Amino acid sequence: MTVQSQSQLQSESSSTAAIYFAILGIVTTAFGLADLLVTAGGAEFVYGTAILEIPNDIFRGGWGGLVVLSAGLFYLSGAKNIGEIHQFAKVAMGSILIWIMAGSDIFAMITESIPGGEDGSWFNTLDGFLAMYAPPYAPAVLLLPFSLVVLYYIYHRD
Amino acid sequence: MTLSLEERWTLIDKISRETVTFGKYEHTLKDAIGELTVKPLTGIPVAIAIMYGFWSAFGSFAGTLMTDGFFVKLFDGYWLPWLQGAFPGQGSWLYSIMVDAGGLGGSEFVLSDTCFEAFGVLTSGIFVAIGVVLPAISIFYLMLALLEDVGYMPRLAVLLDTVLHRVGLHGYAIVPTILSLGCNVPGVAATRILETKKQRFIMMTLLAIFIPCGAQIGIMDKVVPALMGWILLYLIIGYFIFGYILNKVVPGKAPEFLIDVPPYRKPLMRNITKKIWGRITGFFKVALPFVMLGCAIVNVLYLLGVIQWLGDVLAPIFVGWFGVPKETAGPLVAAFLRKDLAVAQLSVINMTDYQRITAVVLVTIYFPCVATFAMMLKEGWKELIAAIGVLIIVVFTYGGLIHLIGIILGVAE
Repeated sequence: MTVQSQSQLQSESSSTAAIYFAILGIVTTAFGLADLLVTAGGAEFVYGTAILEIPNDIFRGGWGGLVVLSAGLFYLSGAKNIGEIHQFAKVAMGSILIWIMAGSDIFAMITESIPGGEDGSWFNTLDGFLAMYAPPYAPAVLLLPFSLVVLYYIYHRD
Repeated sequence: MTLSLEERWTLIDKISRETVTFGKYEHTLKDAIGELTVKPLTGIPVAIAIMYGFWSAFGSFAGTLMTDGFFVKLFDGYWLPWLQGAFPGQGSWLYSIMVDAGGLGGSEFVLSDTCFEAFGVLTSGIFVAIGVVLPAISIFYLMLALLEDVGYMPRLAVLLDTVLHRVGLHGYAIVPTILSLGCNVPGVAATRILETKKQRFIMMTLLAIFIPCGAQIGIMDKVVPALMGWILLYLIIGYFIFGYILNKVVPGKAPEFLIDVPPYRKPLMRNITKKIWGRITGFFKVALPFVMLGCAIVNVLYLLGVIQWLGDVLAPIFVGWFGVPKETAGPLVAAFLRKDLAVAQLSVINMTDYQRITAVVLVTIYFPCVATFAMMLKEGWKELIAAIGVLIIVVFTYGGLIHLIGIILGVAE
Protein backbone atom coordinates (compact mmCIF):
# COMPACT_ATOMS: atom_id res chain seq x y z
CA MET A 1 0.00 0.00 0.00
CA THR A 2 1.38 3.43 -0.92
CA VAL A 3 1.95 6.15 1.66
CA GLN A 4 -0.74 8.30 0.00
CA SER A 5 -3.44 5.60 0.16
CA GLN A 6 -2.48 4.80 3.77
CA SER A 7 -2.93 8.41 4.85
CA GLN A 8 -6.21 8.60 2.88
CA LEU A 9 -7.43 5.53 4.80
CA GLN A 10 -6.40 7.12 8.11
CA SER A 11 -8.21 10.31 7.19
CA GLU A 12 -11.40 8.38 6.33
CA SER A 13 -11.12 6.49 9.60
CA SER A 14 -10.67 9.79 11.47
CA SER A 15 -13.75 11.36 9.91
CA THR A 16 -15.84 8.26 10.73
CA ALA A 17 -14.56 8.43 14.30
CA ALA A 18 -15.28 12.16 14.49
CA ILE A 19 -18.90 11.66 13.37
CA TYR A 20 -19.39 8.66 15.67
CA PHE A 21 -18.03 10.38 18.77
CA ALA A 22 -19.82 13.65 18.00
CA ILE A 23 -23.15 11.76 17.92
CA LEU A 24 -22.19 9.81 21.04
CA GLY A 25 -21.22 13.12 22.67
CA ILE A 26 -24.62 14.67 21.91
CA VAL A 27 -26.47 11.62 23.30
CA THR A 28 -24.24 11.45 26.39
CA THR A 29 -24.60 15.18 27.08
CA ALA A 30 -28.38 14.84 26.75
CA PHE A 31 -28.37 11.93 29.23
CA GLY A 32 -26.23 13.96 31.65
CA LEU A 33 -28.58 16.93 31.47
CA ALA A 34 -31.58 14.60 31.89
CA ASP A 35 -29.95 13.12 35.01
CA LEU A 36 -29.51 16.58 36.51
CA LEU A 37 -33.00 17.77 35.56
CA VAL A 38 -34.69 14.62 36.91
CA THR A 39 -32.70 14.97 40.16
CA ALA A 40 -33.71 18.61 40.44
CA GLY A 41 -37.35 17.63 39.75
CA GLY A 42 -37.27 14.94 42.43
CA ALA A 43 -39.35 12.25 40.65
CA GLU A 44 -37.72 9.14 39.15
CA PHE A 45 -38.02 8.76 35.36
CA VAL A 46 -38.58 5.37 33.70
CA TYR A 47 -38.92 5.24 29.91
CA GLY A 48 -41.39 3.09 27.93
CA THR A 49 -41.26 -0.61 28.81
CA ALA A 50 -38.67 0.20 31.42
CA ILE A 51 -35.35 0.03 29.56
CA LEU A 52 -34.06 3.36 30.77
CA GLU A 53 -34.24 4.58 34.34
CA ILE A 54 -32.93 8.00 35.24
CA PRO A 55 -32.09 8.09 38.95
CA ASN A 56 -33.35 11.01 41.01
CA ASP A 57 -31.19 10.73 44.13
CA ILE A 58 -28.51 13.34 44.76
CA PHE A 59 -25.66 10.79 44.57
CA ARG A 60 -26.46 8.86 41.37
CA GLY A 61 -28.58 11.49 39.65
CA GLY A 62 -26.82 14.65 40.83
CA TRP A 63 -23.18 13.71 41.24
CA GLY A 64 -23.45 10.90 38.65
CA GLY A 65 -25.30 13.21 36.24
CA LEU A 66 -22.44 15.66 36.45
CA VAL A 67 -20.01 12.88 35.49
CA VAL A 68 -22.15 11.76 32.51
CA LEU A 69 -22.48 15.38 31.38
CA SER A 70 -18.68 15.79 31.63
CA ALA A 71 -18.20 12.61 29.56
CA GLY A 72 -20.49 14.05 26.88
CA LEU A 73 -18.54 17.31 26.81
CA PHE A 74 -15.25 15.39 26.57
CA TYR A 75 -16.60 13.52 23.52
CA LEU A 76 -17.86 16.71 21.87
CA SER A 77 -14.67 18.61 22.58
CA GLY A 78 -12.42 15.78 21.31
CA ALA A 79 -14.42 14.86 18.20
CA LYS A 80 -13.06 17.80 16.19
CA ASN A 81 -9.61 17.00 14.75
CA ILE A 82 -9.73 13.60 16.42
CA GLY A 83 -6.55 12.45 14.65
CA GLU A 84 -4.50 14.72 16.90
CA ILE A 85 -3.37 12.84 20.02
CA HIS A 86 -4.53 15.42 22.58
CA GLN A 87 -7.97 15.58 20.98
CA PHE A 88 -8.19 11.79 20.87
CA ALA A 89 -7.19 11.69 24.56
CA LYS A 90 -10.32 13.74 25.36
CA VAL A 91 -12.48 11.16 23.58
CA ALA A 92 -10.71 8.36 25.47
CA MET A 93 -11.29 10.28 28.71
CA GLY A 94 -15.02 10.57 27.89
CA SER A 95 -15.14 6.77 27.60
CA ILE A 96 -13.18 6.34 30.84
CA LEU A 97 -15.77 8.46 32.69
CA ILE A 98 -18.57 6.30 31.25
CA TRP A 99 -16.69 3.15 32.37
CA ILE A 100 -16.37 4.56 35.90
CA MET A 101 -20.10 5.33 36.03
CA ALA A 102 -21.27 2.10 34.42
CA GLY A 103 -18.73 0.06 36.41
CA SER A 104 -20.07 1.57 39.64
CA ASP A 105 -23.67 0.77 38.65
CA ILE A 106 -22.83 -2.81 37.64
CA PHE A 107 -20.80 -3.34 40.82
CA ALA A 108 -23.78 -2.05 42.85
CA MET A 109 -26.04 -4.58 41.04
CA ILE A 110 -23.60 -7.41 41.83
CA THR A 111 -23.37 -6.49 45.54
CA GLU A 112 -27.16 -6.27 45.80
CA SER A 113 -27.73 -9.56 43.99
CA ILE A 114 -25.57 -11.81 46.22
CA PRO A 115 -27.02 -11.57 49.79
CA GLY A 116 -30.46 -12.93 50.69
CA GLY A 117 -33.40 -10.71 51.64
CA GLU A 118 -34.79 -9.51 54.94
CA ASP A 119 -36.13 -13.03 55.73
CA GLY A 120 -32.69 -13.97 57.03
CA SER A 121 -31.43 -16.31 54.30
CA TRP A 122 -27.71 -15.87 53.71
CA PHE A 123 -27.72 -15.92 49.90
CA ASN A 124 -30.19 -14.81 47.25
CA THR A 125 -32.23 -17.35 45.27
CA LEU A 126 -31.28 -17.90 41.62
CA ASP A 127 -34.41 -16.05 40.45
CA GLY A 128 -33.74 -13.17 42.80
CA PHE A 129 -30.11 -13.08 41.72
CA LEU A 130 -30.99 -12.91 38.00
CA ALA A 131 -33.80 -10.39 38.59
CA MET A 132 -31.26 -7.88 39.87
CA TYR A 133 -29.67 -7.72 36.42
CA ALA A 134 -32.94 -7.11 34.55
CA PRO A 135 -33.69 -3.65 33.09
CA PRO A 136 -34.29 -0.73 33.61
CA TYR A 137 -30.70 0.48 33.42
CA ALA A 138 -29.13 3.83 34.23
CA PRO A 139 -27.93 5.95 31.24
CA ALA A 140 -24.24 5.09 31.79
CA VAL A 141 -24.96 1.34 31.53
CA LEU A 142 -26.82 1.88 28.23
CA LEU A 143 -23.93 4.03 26.94
CA LEU A 144 -21.30 1.46 27.97
CA PRO A 145 -21.27 -0.68 24.76
CA PHE A 146 -21.10 2.44 22.58
CA SER A 147 -18.21 3.85 24.62
CA LEU A 148 -16.18 0.66 24.10
CA VAL A 149 -15.69 1.59 20.40
CA VAL A 150 -12.84 3.81 21.58
CA LEU A 151 -10.81 0.65 22.27
CA TYR A 152 -10.87 -0.15 18.53
CA TYR A 153 -9.36 3.24 17.74
CA ILE A 154 -6.79 2.97 20.54
CA TYR A 155 -5.72 -0.45 19.22
CA HIS A 156 -5.47 0.77 15.61
CA ARG A 157 -3.64 3.94 16.63
CA ASP A 158 -0.99 1.82 18.41
CA MET B 1 44.90 15.14 35.35
CA THR B 2 43.15 18.44 36.01
CA LEU B 3 40.89 19.99 33.39
CA SER B 4 40.20 23.68 33.10
CA LEU B 5 36.61 24.93 33.13
CA GLU B 6 36.59 25.36 29.36
CA GLU B 7 38.02 21.88 28.81
CA ARG B 8 35.35 20.39 31.05
CA TRP B 9 32.57 22.00 29.04
CA THR B 10 34.20 20.84 25.79
CA LEU B 11 34.32 17.31 27.15
CA ILE B 12 30.67 17.51 28.24
CA ASP B 13 29.68 18.71 24.76
CA LYS B 14 31.62 15.85 23.16
CA ILE B 15 30.06 13.20 25.40
CA SER B 16 26.54 14.58 24.94
CA ARG B 17 26.98 14.68 21.13
CA GLU B 18 27.91 11.00 21.18
CA THR B 19 25.33 9.81 23.69
CA VAL B 20 22.25 12.06 23.53
CA THR B 21 19.82 11.81 20.64
CA PHE B 22 17.94 15.00 19.90
CA GLY B 23 14.58 14.94 18.16
CA LYS B 24 10.93 15.79 18.51
CA TYR B 25 9.22 13.82 21.29
CA GLU B 26 5.95 12.30 20.14
CA HIS B 27 3.32 12.42 22.90
CA THR B 28 1.69 9.07 23.61
CA LEU B 29 -1.95 8.62 24.55
CA LYS B 30 -0.85 7.96 28.15
CA ASP B 31 1.00 11.32 28.21
CA ALA B 32 -2.01 13.16 26.79
CA ILE B 33 -4.40 11.54 29.30
CA GLY B 34 -1.91 12.38 32.07
CA GLU B 35 -2.00 16.04 31.03
CA LEU B 36 -5.81 16.06 31.01
CA THR B 37 -5.92 14.89 34.62
CA VAL B 38 -3.69 17.75 35.81
CA LYS B 39 -5.23 20.73 33.97
CA PRO B 40 -8.07 22.24 36.09
CA LEU B 41 -10.66 22.49 33.30
CA THR B 42 -10.44 18.79 32.43
CA GLY B 43 -8.87 17.49 35.65
CA ILE B 44 -11.69 18.59 37.97
CA PRO B 45 -14.43 16.60 36.12
CA VAL B 46 -12.09 13.58 36.14
CA ALA B 47 -11.49 14.01 39.90
CA ILE B 48 -15.26 14.27 40.44
CA ALA B 49 -15.75 11.03 38.45
CA ILE B 50 -13.00 9.18 40.32
CA MET B 51 -14.40 10.25 43.69
CA TYR B 52 -17.85 9.07 42.51
CA GLY B 53 -16.45 5.64 41.65
CA PHE B 54 -14.56 5.58 44.95
CA TRP B 55 -17.64 6.26 47.10
CA SER B 56 -19.95 4.14 45.01
CA ALA B 57 -17.65 1.12 45.41
CA PHE B 58 -17.28 1.93 49.12
CA GLY B 59 -21.05 2.03 49.72
CA SER B 60 -21.81 -1.02 47.57
CA PHE B 61 -19.12 -3.26 49.07
CA ALA B 62 -19.00 -2.12 52.70
CA GLY B 63 -22.65 -1.13 53.18
CA THR B 64 -24.80 -3.24 50.86
CA LEU B 65 -22.77 -6.42 50.54
CA MET B 66 -20.78 -6.94 53.73
CA THR B 67 -22.48 -5.03 56.59
CA ASP B 68 -26.16 -5.17 55.56
CA GLY B 69 -25.85 -8.34 53.48
CA PHE B 70 -24.00 -10.60 55.90
CA PHE B 71 -22.68 -9.06 59.13
CA VAL B 72 -26.00 -7.61 60.38
CA LYS B 73 -27.57 -11.06 59.92
CA LEU B 74 -24.66 -12.78 61.62
CA PHE B 75 -24.43 -10.45 64.60
CA ASP B 76 -28.13 -9.66 65.15
CA GLY B 77 -29.46 -13.09 64.26
CA TYR B 78 -26.89 -15.37 65.91
CA TRP B 79 -24.15 -13.64 67.93
CA LEU B 80 -26.35 -11.28 70.00
CA PRO B 81 -29.11 -13.79 70.96
CA TRP B 82 -26.48 -16.42 71.80
CA LEU B 83 -24.49 -14.05 74.02
CA GLN B 84 -27.66 -12.69 75.67
CA GLY B 85 -28.53 -16.24 76.72
CA ALA B 86 -25.06 -17.62 77.43
CA PHE B 87 -23.54 -14.74 79.43
CA PRO B 88 -24.48 -15.03 83.09
CA GLY B 89 -26.04 -12.35 85.31
CA GLN B 90 -28.55 -10.63 83.03
CA GLY B 91 -29.11 -7.04 84.22
CA SER B 92 -25.90 -6.95 86.28
CA TRP B 93 -23.19 -4.32 85.76
CA LEU B 94 -20.82 -6.75 84.07
CA TYR B 95 -23.59 -7.98 81.79
CA SER B 96 -24.50 -4.40 80.85
CA ILE B 97 -20.91 -3.49 80.09
CA MET B 98 -19.99 -6.65 78.20
CA VAL B 99 -23.22 -7.78 76.47
CA ASP B 100 -26.32 -5.62 76.63
CA ALA B 101 -26.93 -2.33 78.41
CA GLY B 102 -30.65 -2.99 77.95
CA GLY B 103 -31.78 0.47 76.94
CA LEU B 104 -29.09 2.85 78.16
CA GLY B 105 -30.27 5.35 80.70
CA GLY B 106 -33.78 3.90 80.89
CA SER B 107 -35.31 2.82 84.20
CA GLU B 108 -36.22 -0.71 83.06
CA PHE B 109 -33.85 -3.35 81.64
CA VAL B 110 -35.01 -4.46 78.17
CA LEU B 111 -33.03 -6.88 76.01
CA SER B 112 -31.89 -5.23 72.78
CA ASP B 113 -32.84 -6.52 69.33
CA THR B 114 -29.76 -5.36 67.47
CA CYS B 115 -26.07 -4.96 68.12
CA PHE B 116 -26.46 -1.24 67.43
CA GLU B 117 -28.72 -0.90 70.47
CA ALA B 118 -26.94 -3.31 72.83
CA PHE B 119 -23.84 -1.15 73.47
CA GLY B 120 -21.90 -4.04 75.02
CA VAL B 121 -18.17 -4.51 74.47
CA LEU B 122 -18.72 -8.02 73.07
CA THR B 123 -21.78 -7.04 71.01
CA SER B 124 -21.66 -3.45 69.72
CA GLY B 125 -17.88 -3.25 70.16
CA ILE B 126 -17.15 -6.35 68.08
CA PHE B 127 -19.95 -5.61 65.60
CA VAL B 128 -18.65 -2.09 64.92
CA ALA B 129 -15.05 -3.29 64.64
CA ILE B 130 -15.63 -6.40 62.50
CA GLY B 131 -19.02 -5.82 60.90
CA VAL B 132 -18.79 -2.12 60.05
CA VAL B 133 -15.21 -0.84 60.21
CA LEU B 134 -13.34 -3.84 58.76
CA PRO B 135 -15.25 -3.96 55.42
CA ALA B 136 -15.26 -0.15 55.26
CA ILE B 137 -11.52 0.29 55.70
CA SER B 138 -10.70 -2.78 53.54
CA ILE B 139 -12.45 -1.37 50.45
CA PHE B 140 -11.33 2.15 51.31
CA TYR B 141 -7.65 1.23 51.51
CA LEU B 142 -7.92 -0.97 48.40
CA MET B 143 -9.27 1.96 46.36
CA LEU B 144 -6.69 4.32 47.85
CA ALA B 145 -3.81 1.91 47.11
CA LEU B 146 -5.05 1.55 43.50
CA LEU B 147 -5.16 5.33 43.03
CA GLU B 148 -1.68 5.69 44.54
CA ASP B 149 -0.10 2.92 42.49
CA VAL B 150 -1.76 3.89 39.20
CA GLY B 151 -0.18 7.33 39.69
CA TYR B 152 -3.34 9.38 40.17
CA MET B 153 -2.65 10.73 43.69
CA PRO B 154 0.29 12.99 42.67
CA ARG B 155 -1.94 14.42 39.92
CA LEU B 156 -4.73 15.06 42.41
CA ALA B 157 -2.14 16.79 44.63
CA VAL B 158 -1.11 19.07 41.74
CA LEU B 159 -4.75 19.74 40.84
CA LEU B 160 -5.72 20.75 44.39
CA ASP B 161 -2.50 22.63 45.20
CA THR B 162 -3.92 26.11 44.52
CA VAL B 163 -7.06 25.48 46.60
CA LEU B 164 -5.14 23.97 49.51
CA HIS B 165 -2.70 26.91 49.56
CA ARG B 166 -5.66 29.08 50.57
CA VAL B 167 -5.82 27.11 53.83
CA GLY B 168 -2.06 27.25 54.41
CA LEU B 169 -1.40 23.76 53.07
CA HIS B 170 -0.25 22.40 49.71
CA GLY B 171 -1.26 19.66 47.30
CA TYR B 172 0.28 16.84 49.35
CA ALA B 173 -2.19 17.64 52.17
CA ILE B 174 -4.67 15.59 50.16
CA VAL B 175 -2.84 12.41 51.31
CA PRO B 176 -3.51 12.79 55.09
CA THR B 177 -6.99 14.13 54.28
CA ILE B 178 -7.99 11.09 52.24
CA LEU B 179 -6.21 8.67 54.61
CA SER B 180 -8.26 10.15 57.47
CA LEU B 181 -11.47 9.23 55.70
CA GLY B 182 -10.40 5.63 56.45
CA CYS B 183 -9.10 6.23 59.97
CA ASN B 184 -7.91 9.49 61.55
CA VAL B 185 -4.98 7.72 63.25
CA PRO B 186 -2.85 7.10 60.09
CA GLY B 187 -4.09 10.47 58.83
CA VAL B 188 -2.51 12.25 61.80
CA ALA B 189 0.69 10.21 61.29
CA ALA B 190 0.75 11.22 57.60
CA THR B 191 0.80 14.94 58.50
CA ARG B 192 4.58 14.42 58.86
CA ILE B 193 4.90 14.69 55.08
CA LEU B 194 4.17 18.41 55.46
CA GLU B 195 7.27 20.56 55.90
CA THR B 196 6.52 23.20 58.55
CA LYS B 197 5.05 23.16 62.07
CA LYS B 198 2.32 25.55 60.94
CA GLN B 199 1.22 23.21 58.15
CA ARG B 200 1.28 20.15 60.40
CA PHE B 201 -0.76 21.96 63.07
CA ILE B 202 -3.37 23.21 60.59
CA MET B 203 -3.64 19.78 58.96
CA MET B 204 -3.90 17.88 62.27
CA THR B 205 -6.56 20.27 63.58
CA LEU B 206 -8.64 20.13 60.39
CA LEU B 207 -8.42 16.32 60.29
CA ALA B 208 -9.48 15.97 63.91
CA ILE B 209 -12.43 18.32 63.44
CA PHE B 210 -13.81 18.02 59.93
CA ILE B 211 -12.85 14.62 58.53
CA PRO B 212 -15.17 11.75 59.53
CA CYS B 213 -13.45 8.36 59.71
CA GLY B 214 -14.51 5.18 57.88
CA ALA B 215 -16.42 3.89 60.93
CA GLN B 216 -18.45 7.08 61.14
CA ILE B 217 -19.09 7.24 57.40
CA GLY B 218 -20.10 3.55 57.43
CA ILE B 219 -22.63 4.17 60.21
CA MET B 220 -23.88 7.46 58.72
CA ASP B 221 -24.41 5.61 55.43
CA LYS B 222 -26.44 3.03 57.32
CA VAL B 223 -28.55 5.18 59.63
CA VAL B 224 -28.93 8.54 57.82
CA PRO B 225 -28.21 7.72 54.13
CA ALA B 226 -30.53 10.40 52.74
CA LEU B 227 -28.78 13.17 54.69
CA MET B 228 -25.19 12.15 53.90
CA GLY B 229 -24.79 14.71 51.09
CA TRP B 230 -25.77 17.65 53.32
CA ILE B 231 -23.64 16.47 56.23
CA LEU B 232 -20.54 16.09 54.01
CA LEU B 233 -21.23 19.47 52.38
CA TYR B 234 -21.26 21.20 55.78
CA LEU B 235 -18.03 19.45 56.72
CA ILE B 236 -16.26 20.42 53.47
CA ILE B 237 -17.35 24.06 53.82
CA GLY B 238 -16.18 24.07 57.47
CA TYR B 239 -12.81 22.54 56.45
CA PHE B 240 -12.12 25.45 54.11
CA ILE B 241 -13.57 28.28 56.24
CA PHE B 242 -11.67 27.32 59.38
CA GLY B 243 -8.56 26.33 57.37
CA TYR B 244 -8.54 29.83 55.89
CA ILE B 245 -8.89 31.42 59.35
CA LEU B 246 -6.18 29.18 60.84
CA ASN B 247 -3.85 30.10 57.97
CA LYS B 248 -4.32 33.79 58.82
CA VAL B 249 -3.99 33.32 62.59
CA VAL B 250 -1.29 30.65 63.05
CA PRO B 251 2.24 32.04 62.70
CA GLY B 252 4.78 30.26 60.48
CA LYS B 253 5.49 29.45 56.86
CA ALA B 254 3.53 27.54 54.24
CA PRO B 255 6.08 26.82 51.50
CA GLU B 256 5.43 25.85 47.89
CA PHE B 257 5.96 22.23 46.92
CA LEU B 258 7.76 20.63 44.01
CA ILE B 259 6.59 17.28 42.80
CA ASP B 260 7.74 14.87 40.12
CA VAL B 261 4.53 13.55 38.55
CA PRO B 262 5.17 9.94 37.52
CA PRO B 263 3.64 8.40 34.38
CA TYR B 264 0.49 6.29 34.77
CA ARG B 265 1.43 2.71 35.57
CA LYS B 266 -0.28 -0.64 35.90
CA PRO B 267 -0.49 -1.39 39.65
CA LEU B 268 1.26 -4.49 40.99
CA MET B 269 -0.93 -6.88 42.98
CA ARG B 270 1.93 -7.60 45.44
CA ASN B 271 2.33 -3.91 46.33
CA ILE B 272 -1.41 -3.39 46.68
CA THR B 273 -1.86 -6.35 49.05
CA LYS B 274 1.17 -5.28 51.09
CA LYS B 275 -0.21 -1.75 51.52
CA ILE B 276 -3.72 -2.91 52.44
CA TRP B 277 -2.39 -5.49 54.89
CA GLY B 278 -0.10 -2.94 56.56
CA ARG B 279 -2.86 -0.36 56.93
CA ILE B 280 -5.52 -2.77 58.18
CA THR B 281 -3.24 -4.43 60.72
CA GLY B 282 -2.12 -0.93 61.77
CA PHE B 283 -5.75 -0.01 62.40
CA PHE B 284 -6.42 -3.16 64.40
CA LYS B 285 -3.30 -2.71 66.54
CA VAL B 286 -3.71 1.02 67.29
CA ALA B 287 -7.40 1.89 66.98
CA LEU B 288 -9.25 -1.34 67.81
CA PRO B 289 -8.31 -1.43 71.53
CA PHE B 290 -9.77 2.08 71.81
CA VAL B 291 -13.00 0.97 70.09
CA MET B 292 -13.50 -1.76 72.71
CA LEU B 293 -12.34 0.41 75.61
CA GLY B 294 -14.58 3.26 74.39
CA CYS B 295 -17.62 0.98 74.51
CA ALA B 296 -16.81 -0.13 78.04
CA ILE B 297 -16.20 3.42 79.33
CA VAL B 298 -19.40 4.78 77.73
CA ASN B 299 -21.38 2.01 79.44
CA VAL B 300 -19.75 2.63 82.82
CA LEU B 301 -20.43 6.38 82.54
CA TYR B 302 -24.06 5.71 81.59
CA LEU B 303 -24.48 3.28 84.49
CA LEU B 304 -22.95 5.78 86.92
CA GLY B 305 -25.34 8.43 85.60
CA VAL B 306 -22.44 10.71 84.55
CA ILE B 307 -23.58 11.08 80.95
CA GLN B 308 -27.19 11.82 81.97
CA TRP B 309 -25.92 14.43 84.44
CA LEU B 310 -23.62 16.04 81.86
CA GLY B 311 -26.46 15.89 79.33
CA ASP B 312 -28.80 17.70 81.74
CA VAL B 313 -26.20 20.34 82.55
CA LEU B 314 -25.36 20.96 78.89
CA ALA B 315 -28.93 20.62 77.58
CA PRO B 316 -29.64 24.40 77.52
CA ILE B 317 -26.58 24.90 75.28
CA PHE B 318 -27.59 22.07 72.95
CA VAL B 319 -31.20 23.23 72.70
CA GLY B 320 -30.66 27.00 72.70
CA TRP B 321 -27.38 27.38 70.83
CA PHE B 322 -27.26 24.36 68.50
CA GLY B 323 -31.03 23.92 68.07
CA VAL B 324 -31.03 20.16 68.66
CA PRO B 325 -33.38 18.30 71.08
CA LYS B 326 -32.41 17.84 74.75
CA GLU B 327 -32.10 14.05 74.27
CA THR B 328 -29.11 14.50 71.94
CA ALA B 329 -26.99 15.83 74.80
CA GLY B 330 -26.20 12.31 76.09
CA PRO B 331 -24.99 10.85 72.75
CA LEU B 332 -23.08 14.07 72.00
CA VAL B 333 -21.22 13.80 75.30
CA ALA B 334 -20.58 10.09 74.74
CA ALA B 335 -19.29 10.88 71.23
CA PHE B 336 -15.92 11.71 72.75
CA LEU B 337 -15.42 8.00 73.30
CA ARG B 338 -17.33 6.42 70.41
CA LYS B 339 -18.38 8.76 67.60
CA ASP B 340 -19.81 5.96 65.46
CA LEU B 341 -22.04 4.64 68.23
CA ALA B 342 -23.13 8.20 69.02
CA VAL B 343 -24.38 8.51 65.42
CA ALA B 344 -26.31 5.26 65.92
CA GLN B 345 -27.79 6.62 69.18
CA LEU B 346 -28.82 9.85 67.45
CA SER B 347 -30.65 7.91 64.75
CA VAL B 348 -33.29 6.69 67.22
CA ILE B 349 -34.05 10.15 68.67
CA ASN B 350 -37.12 11.86 67.25
CA MET B 351 -36.07 15.08 65.48
CA THR B 352 -36.38 16.98 62.21
CA ASP B 353 -34.06 16.30 59.27
CA TYR B 354 -32.25 19.60 59.82
CA GLN B 355 -31.75 18.85 63.53
CA ARG B 356 -30.38 15.42 62.54
CA ILE B 357 -27.94 17.02 60.07
CA THR B 358 -26.83 19.48 62.79
CA ALA B 359 -26.47 16.72 65.40
CA VAL B 360 -24.40 14.43 63.11
CA VAL B 361 -22.19 17.35 61.99
CA LEU B 362 -21.69 18.20 65.68
CA VAL B 363 -20.68 14.61 66.47
CA THR B 364 -18.11 14.77 63.67
CA ILE B 365 -16.61 18.14 64.57
CA TYR B 366 -16.76 17.29 68.27
CA PHE B 367 -13.66 16.01 70.10
CA PRO B 368 -11.72 13.47 68.02
CA CYS B 369 -12.05 9.86 69.12
CA VAL B 370 -9.72 8.65 71.89
CA ALA B 371 -7.40 6.84 69.42
CA THR B 372 -6.86 10.04 67.41
CA PHE B 373 -6.41 11.93 70.66
CA ALA B 374 -3.63 9.55 71.69
CA MET B 375 -2.00 9.89 68.27
CA MET B 376 -2.13 13.70 68.45
CA LEU B 377 -0.56 13.58 71.90
CA LYS B 378 2.35 11.64 70.37
CA GLU B 379 2.90 14.56 67.97
CA GLY B 380 3.29 16.97 70.91
CA TRP B 381 1.21 18.05 73.94
CA LYS B 382 1.43 21.76 73.11
CA GLU B 383 -0.06 21.14 69.67
CA LEU B 384 -2.74 18.94 71.23
CA ILE B 385 -3.80 21.64 73.70
CA ALA B 386 -3.82 24.28 70.95
CA ALA B 387 -5.89 21.94 68.73
CA ILE B 388 -8.40 21.41 71.56
CA GLY B 389 -8.68 25.18 71.99
CA VAL B 390 -9.40 25.59 68.27
CA LEU B 391 -11.83 22.69 68.41
CA ILE B 392 -13.91 24.19 71.23
CA ILE B 393 -14.15 27.51 69.37
CA VAL B 394 -15.06 25.70 66.12
CA VAL B 395 -17.75 23.55 67.74
CA PHE B 396 -19.48 26.57 69.23
CA THR B 397 -19.17 28.95 66.29
CA TYR B 398 -19.85 26.42 63.53
CA GLY B 399 -22.61 24.64 65.46
CA GLY B 400 -24.26 28.00 66.12
CA LEU B 401 -23.76 29.05 62.48
CA ILE B 402 -25.48 25.89 61.18
CA HIS B 403 -28.38 26.61 63.55
CA LEU B 404 -28.52 30.22 62.29
CA ILE B 405 -28.53 29.06 58.63
CA GLY B 406 -31.44 26.77 59.51
CA ILE B 407 -33.35 29.68 61.08
CA ILE B 408 -32.71 31.87 58.02
CA LEU B 409 -33.84 29.05 55.69
CA GLY B 410 -36.90 28.51 57.86
CA VAL B 411 -36.08 24.88 58.70
CA ALA B 412 -35.00 25.46 62.30
CA GLU B 413 -36.37 27.48 65.19
